[in-house]
Amino acid sequence: MRRIELEERPDWRRRAEESGFVFHSIGGERYWDETHCYAFTLAQIENDLEAPTEQLHDMALDLVGDIVGDEQALRRLDVPEPFWDWIAQSWRDREPHLYGRMDLAYDGTGPAKLLELNYDTPTSLFEAAFFQWQWLDDLQRRGVLPMGADQFNSVYESLVEAFGTIATQLKRPLYFAAVRDSVEDQGTIDYLRDCAMQAGIDCSAIALEDIGITGDGRYTDLDDQAIGTLCKLYPLEDLFREPFGRHLPTAGMQLLEPPWKAVLSNKGILPLLWQRHPGHPNLLPAQFDDGYAPTQPGWVIKPLHSREGANVRLHLPDGRSERVDGPYNGPGIRQAYQPLARFGEDHVVLGSWVVGDRACGLGLRADRSVITRDSARFVPHVILPDAAGVLEA
Amino acid sequence: MKRSRHVGLVLMGASPLLLTACAPENSTEEGLYTSVEACVAQTGDETSCRQAHDQAQLEFSQSGPRYATREECIAVHGAEQCQQVGQQHGGSIFMPLLAGYVMGRMLSGGNVAGLRSAPAFRDRNGGWQRPAAAAGGVYRQGAIGQRAMAPIQMAPNQAPTVTRGGFGNQDRRRSSGS
Repeated sequence: MRRIELEERPDWRRRAEESGFVFHSIGGERYWDETHCYAFTLAQIENDLEAPTEQLHDMALDLVGDIVGDEQALRRLDVPEPFWDWIAQSWRDREPHLYGRMDLAYDGTGPAKLLELNYDTPTSLFEAAFFQWQWLDDLQRRGVLPMGADQFNSVYESLVEAFGTIATQLKRPLYFAAVRDSVEDQGTIDYLRDCAMQAGIDCSAIALEDIGITGDGRYTDLDDQAIGTLCKLYPLEDLFREPFGRHLPTAGMQLLEPPWKAVLSNKGILPLLWQRHPGHPNLLPAQFDDGYAPTQPGWVIKPLHSREGANVRLHLPDGRSERVDGPYNGPGIRQAYQPLARFGEDHVVLGSWVVGDRACGLGLRADRSVITRDSARFVPHVILPDAAGVLEA
Repeated sequence: MKRSRHVGLVLMGASPLLLTACAPENSTEEGLYTSVEACVAQTGDETSCRQAHDQAQLEFSQSGPRYATREECIAVHGAEQCQQVGQQHGGSIFMPLLAGYVMGRMLSGGNVAGLRSAPAFRDRNGGWQRPAAAAGGVYRQGAIGQRAMAPIQMAPNQAPTVTRGGFGNQDRRRSSGS
């Protein structure tokens, strides 16, 4: 893994906007950052990232059956009791899942370490699947990167294939929903719908806020018709806790991601994985943390439900600490501190995509801060043979 | 290739259909052979022929069709095509003979840029078939159930058929179940 400085395409902002990637900059700062990229060897991709991702995914799925049948585990994961049976049934029915992203710490050497699973509402999908692909294609056409360059990125093909595979298992009508005013979430949910349409699935969009409920507890669209399946970019645990969500177990509406994903998109899966596979080379030591014990250097405290680094507290081995404020509180976990790849001032985290059960792509986020936050820039990557010295000429 | 062969948008963006293809296109050729020798005679590529043969044999031994009785096997593959296979823990099952293999070569500038293969079996009407591309390839395979077969339209031991567009579904790796 190495960093390659590049000149950005003069027209990249126009290219982004042409394809609907309107959140390429956030608050005037670039979010998409092609002033450089990261290069991996094929061996690094296949041996150190792709294979461990599939293995970690399998290990996580193998835990689901045990967790959803274990009241103590569900309590530790802070899953509200009224939803337990519904979640367990969704697993017994093997309700289809679509995608997830695991965040890994890896700098090109040693085993990649799992930081967390984003298995319910993973974002940065469009930029990884489409715009990153187009960036490489453009740079090859312009002769900046060699034609032999590649990218770990069959996310698009895998999404269309996955939608095509599960199409018959999704109740209709199928709606895609995200929060109305989140430009980023709307972009991501549009992209999912785009892929579903390419798989030949008839589907519609609705803002989450526009979903209605009937007197007998059915969720409905703007025409008061019952929604068959809701593909939502909104945390399951928030659906559970909002008053509007109490009808979920009885409403007959299918969810994508399915309810059983609630036990994976939860930081509590990290200590459970560690308990089941202690010492696994791709796992970091992790324990449940009630928040009362004083935190020791070398540990990171994460709330069970936290997104984009919010409320993460990091106690560096040298005694310094970092924290990001945010809205999440409640029970959490502690995980052994693992430094991210460091290039100049950037700390780089690797987002490894899983579509269906296939590890199929990579998206990198870089932040000046030790804790990766929502402001972290997306930096593209490329696969190059070991000795591609021409690039540095 | 580790990336999508093309990416497309139908809904997002300025143009109604934005389809970007991955250049350059490669050509793929495919042939059905009953032996390594027949394959070499048609393609002159002994290395690929042997490799494809070994891959097909491996796939056959690991995930070839299995039947509980000879009758079930004959019903699918015909009378002369079924063999009894002993199991590790005693008992036996029936499998079709590995009657041939399909070799696909992706050619780029005269070089072999990719190779794929599949075991081939006879069907009860004397035709040929191969394991179908796993429909649920992006999902873990179920623990039970027979893999579907797809008919092969090519005649055996002929010059390979050339198609364009590179590799498709067959190239996808099945996920590693645990």
